[in-house]
Amino acid sequence: MNSRLRASVMRAAILPTDTMSAENLRQRLSPPVLRIKAVRKLYRELEAIRNVSFDVAACEFVSVLGPSGCGKSTLLMMVAGLIDKTDGEISINGTPVIGPRPEVGVVFQQPVLLPWRTVLDNVLFPIELLKLSRAKYVQRAMELLAMAKIDDFAHRLPRQLSGGMRQRASICRALIHDPSILLMDEPFSALDAITRDEMGVELLRIWQANRKTVIFVTHSIREAAFLSDRVLVMGRRPATIIEEMVIDLPRPRHIAMMEDESFNQYVRKLRKAIEAGHVH
Amino acid sequence: MFTKTRNFLVELGWPIGISLAMLALWEVAVRELGIRSIILPPPSEIIDAMIRRHELLLAHLWPSLYLTVLGFALSVVGGIAVAVLITYSSILRKGFYPLIVVSQVIPKISIAPLFIVWFGTGTMSSLLLAVLIAFFPMTINSALGFQSIDEDIHRMARTFMGTRWQIFWKIRMPNALPYIFSGMKISITLAIIGVIVSEFVASQEGIGYLIKLAGGLLDTPLMMAAIAALSISGLILYGLIVLAEKRTVYWQMTTDADGGAGG
Repeated sequence: MNSRLRASVMRAAILPTDTMSAENLRQRLSPPVLRIKAVRKLYRELEAIRNVSFDVAACEFVSVLGPSGCGKSTLLMMVAGLIDKTDGEISINGTPVIGPRPEVGVVFQQPVLLPWRTVLDNVLFPIELLKLSRAKYVQRAMELLAMAKIDDFAHRLPRQLSGGMRQRASICRALIHDPSILLMDEPFSALDAITRDEMGVELLRIWQANRKTVIFVTHSIREAAFLSDRVLVMGRRPATIIEEMVIDLPRPRHIAMMEDESFNQYVRKLRKAIEAGHVH
Repeated sequence: MFTKTRNFLVELGWPIGISLAMLALWEVAVRELGIRSIILPPPSEIIDAMIRRHELLLAHLWPSLYLTVLGFALSVVGGIAVAVLITYSSILRKGFYPLIVVSQVIPKISIAPLFIVWFGTGTMSSLLLAVLIAFFPMTINSALGFQSIDEDIHRMARTFMGTRWQIFWKIRMPNALPYIFSGMKISITLAIIGVIVSEFVASQEGIGYLIKLAGGLLDTPLMMAAIAALSISGLILYGLIVLAEKRTVYWQMTTDADGGAGG
């Protein structure tokens, strides 16, 4: 166990909500799926990200929480291999990230579905790009759509779907090739508040059935607390991780839990951490 | 589907009704005011001329239409090809694209007499003039279509390891189709203008030649019959493109993508 990991386990242990669950502990002790070490990103002289390090265990749900423009999306795009880092190391399953790779699925802020393809063909789009056999994946695509409760719309065009349904389709697309890591870049921020809460519950349901390592970028404190095993709080000046918090709430989680005192305690603490980041 | 067709017919009903009313007004006015048909023939006389002299009209219409369609086809293929080059070569994009845009300001029709000097009075001049003026809107619209890809869509394709080739055929091409059709609708109209103008300037056949000839003979009914035949042909060609567009660009609700660059 490296020192950083031990430190975070220790910090987790002294949280007021007493000890971590056995599940959480087991996750933390297995070798990390994603390892980010001293990553830095410069845009000319501007430091977009400073010295970010963290590990993510297999099947862990980690949120990166921070205000708009703090560089959290940049960080995610570097993990996706879409943006080059200036310094540091990013590795997935032990191999350094130098470009996009098939064990990663990405969900963007917008659904980015192709308007001329049906929902099913959109979900199968990665299969075509990866030159896999379409016939083998049609069944899986339909199962994913059924899980996201939009299988009735499989043969419709994206414009015939609501915003929430489109984003569900884009989550199915990110999962079609069975990636081990799912990267989500503020996927629900374009949705209205009610749909947004529903989508959170849906996402957890899909995740429960289809265990992936999830890195979820958001600027919503409640969303981060509700969804995650662990929340990393990112501050704006400097653009780095200023707080790490394990969310030890039982799973499966329900909307009603947002009313619980234990949930709200986490929300308050996260808010305090973000405010502390602003003072810098 | 049924209501769609009905709405279409209702929408079509208005302009057709107004056209018929105007033709009737024209007919009555010419007769009541006693205007001589050498100045303005009534619609009935024009239709009569179209029927009686249909062999002469068709004989001159075919070569013009042939050159129009050929010039249009060359413009479409060439325009798309140049648009692809502009999209993928930054040197061409930075060097040529501004020139193409600026060249839109030049009234290219004025080059017609020069083409006669270079290529003679035959079909070559007509064809080249049609291509010259139909080519540019095609290029500009297609280039716009290939390049107006949402950055997010491009990123999405890259995360799934899409190659440049895949991104071109699976994203850029379908994305450009509505723009390409807008370009085609402008180009077909311009191709007709190119052919007719060059036939005005110097030619021994074609509907443009016939219009000029009839004008010289003060045979106004024949002249207007020729203009009518040309207009109807133009409408049919345009209609065919709209039809193809509706089938190809099925994902667009409306065809209001006509705001592209004009000639």
